[in-house]
Amino acid sequence: MSEATAPAHGATRVGSPAQAGRASESRPRRSLLRPVLIAALLVVLLLAPFYVEEFWLRTGFAVFGAIVGAIGLNLLTGTTGQLSLAHAFFLAVGAISYVFVSGESGGIGVAQLSGLGLPPLIGMIVGVLLAGLAGLIFSPIAARLRGIYLGVASLGLVFIGQHVLNTWTSVTGGFNGRSAPNFSLFGFTFANDNPLLFIAGVPFREAERLWYLGLVLALASYVFARNLLRSRPGRALQTLRDSEVAASVMGVNVQRYKGRVFLVSSMYAGLSGVLYALSIGSVAPESFGLEVSIQYLAMIVLGGLGSVGGAALGALFVSALPLVFQRYADALPLVSSPGQGGINAGEAARFLYGAAIVLIIMFEPGGLAGLAARFRRRGRDPGARRPRSPVTSADASTDDSTTSVPSDRPAQGSTT
Amino acid sequence: MTAARADEAPARSDIPPVEVEGVTVRFGAITALSGVSFTVAPGTIHAVIGPNGAGKSTMFNVLSGVYKAAEGQVRFGDARLDQMRPYQIAGIGVARAFQNIALSGSQSVAENLMLGRHHLTKAGFIAAGLRLPKATREGKVHGRRVAEIADFLELGDKLHTPVGVLSYGDQKRVEVARALCTEPRLLLLDEPVAGMNAEETTRMAEVIREIRAALGISIVLVEHDMGMVMSLADRVTVLDFGRRIADGTPAEVQSDPEVIRAYLGSGDDSSPADLGSPAPGVSSPAPDAPAAGAHSSDTPGTRS
Ligand SMILES: Nc1ncnc2c1ncn2[C@@H]1O[C@H](COP(=O)(O)OP(=O)(O)OP(=O)(O)O)[C@@H](O)[C@H]1O
Ligand SMILES: [Mg+2]
Repeated sequence: MSEATAPAHGATRVGSPAQAGRASESRPRRSLLRPVLIAALLVVLLLAPFYVEEFWLRTGFAVFGAIVGAIGLNLLTGTTGQLSLAHAFFLAVGAISYVFVSGESGGIGVAQLSGLGLPPLIGMIVGVLLAGLAGLIFSPIAARLRGIYLGVASLGLVFIGQHVLNTWTSVTGGFNGRSAPNFSLFGFTFANDNPLLFIAGVPFREAERLWYLGLVLALASYVFARNLLRSRPGRALQTLRDSEVAASVMGVNVQRYKGRVFLVSSMYAGLSGVLYALSIGSVAPESFGLEVSIQYLAMIVLGGLGSVGGAALGALFVSALPLVFQRYADALPLVSSPGQGGINAGEAARFLYGAAIVLIIMFEPGGLAGLAARFRRRGRDPGARRPRSPVTSADASTDDSTTSVPSDRPAQGSTT
Repeated sequence: MTAARADEAPARSDIPPVEVEGVTVRFGAITALSGVSFTVAPGTIHAVIGPNGAGKSTMFNVLSGVYKAAEGQVRFGDARLDQMRPYQIAGIGVARAFQNIALSGSQSVAENLMLGRHHLTKAGFIAAGLRLPKATREGKVHGRRVAEIADFLELGDKLHTPVGVLSYGDQKRVEVARALCTEPRLLLLDEPVAGMNAEETTRMAEVIREIRAALGISIVLVEHDMGMVMSLADRVTVLDFGRRIADGTPAEVQSDPEVIRAYLGSGDDSSPADLGSPAPGVSSPAPDAPAAGAHSSDTPGTRS
């Protein structure tokens, strides 16, 4: 049937079967490299607590929490194209719900705190659900606004959040904040003791235990988002980003989907907020300001809009950098420890990822994920140069229909 | 008049006529459509033609619920399309291929086509995120049908290629395939061969004929390629400046003095000379190739 295309394809396919590496991420490839790499990474992550010192484990836990939040924001902003500046607000809802539900009542200093003293697992679940509820309440607005307009509208939530955090002292601890109760699961406490635990001669204290908690939750968030993107709702969301009209004409209830993804994204933020509270050990209003929202945007832009793995990479970069700088402040030029002249670690980190964002936007709009894909491509198919950007590609090859179009399935063509 | 052709298709009782009655659409001072009426008989290919800016895409936007008509009615059987939202219209079996390609360039052909199955499938956020068996099964079943339709449009070997790297002609065919994937009862094709070369155009004409023959569905076709229109259509409605200036069989329309005047007056590629040449696929290139396709009415609010 396809007189023009068939021979051309046969030829290119034989010539470069490796082009498959480039094609959409959404199909399992036959390559072994990927599963092996993933398995290796998992083993490293699982064994880390046996070899790595506490600082890195704590940093790791903070990163896991940020990964959860970044994946959530990426679903909304990267995948669906809905800008949100309210992520910090939903983080706050999760974190505050946790400390309130699982914290004890009592007075610290002048403030009289109230708390429900329920098991931390309940606190975590309530944190996620309440963040979701807050998202649900806002989602009628989110469903009607598009892109940058939603960004501006969502800004208001951050300011409302700040006000509530500062004034609702009995719940939030007010300006000074409030400490977060240790996490525990069916009597097993994620703290230094209770029970005391040694595995293979390594003491399993708070940092080690939290590491695994973060790892499991981050992995679950990752897998859920990946599954989502590869299936019916994910396709609807991505089409909605590219053309709302096309999505609706193809049968997608655009408003409902915008509302839903906002809900899911705020639940991710809620969980991330709970992890944040556990990681810092306390919550305070200053942890949920506008800069935090912007930091999360930085993560997903840096990592690659729309890519779940990219969000994780971006979260790693943005959330770990300041901590690492702080630790090595003495060794790094220009960076100083707190109280001395020079740039402090947080600022230095911000300069660095600020610069990284500019570079990424200019040279690899696909972010770190796009960069990684480019390397993979190069490794398999040296010299291959192929348009891939979703935005620019529409008119990339209008010239003729016989240009070699790579296929993901070499086997299919060769059997005909 | 249309009997000879309608005979080819299996008679389907579930395909009602489309009745457009006195539809008017205004954009501020511009009246894009004024009191347009026509009827698409079940199982026929009905062409809507007219010079650039005549309001053809606007009519499609009304039929698919993207624009609301200021006056008039659109009925598809019992359904009042003019009162429904686009996704509801898709849900009752009205599909559309866009004039300006409105695909997701970063998604593969298969993924774009699977979107056509959206209203036929159910998997929600939770089922999909947790990969519940029912969601996986559903994906497999519908994936098979999508592959069939892709084969039908000669896209079978490109299923896993991102749409963005495909040639223009291929992307146009993905548009049509995606519309077909919704298992429509009414198919709206907005300039399906614009920007295609002669050979691709001939094949697309065959495809359209086959769709009608195999599925027996109604097809509304907007096209500048007069050869194709005259050879394919059972009936033709001609628009000019938002008004219906003619409606009849291809032969009737071709000899209508007002139609000839409209085409002479507009002075574009689709001149009356083309009106007289019924051979498909031998016409001049469509007047608005992608580069020139800066029209806003096809996919309003698109980011592409
Ligand atoms: N969203 C809109 N806002 C304002 N004017 C519009 C809009 N959509 C369409 N129009 C105007 O309505 C008229 C009809 O446009 P339409 O796109 O329906 O023409 P068409 O017949 O499809 O033309 P073409 O053959 O070039 O595709 C044009 O004058 C156009 O500028
Ligand atoms: Mg048009």
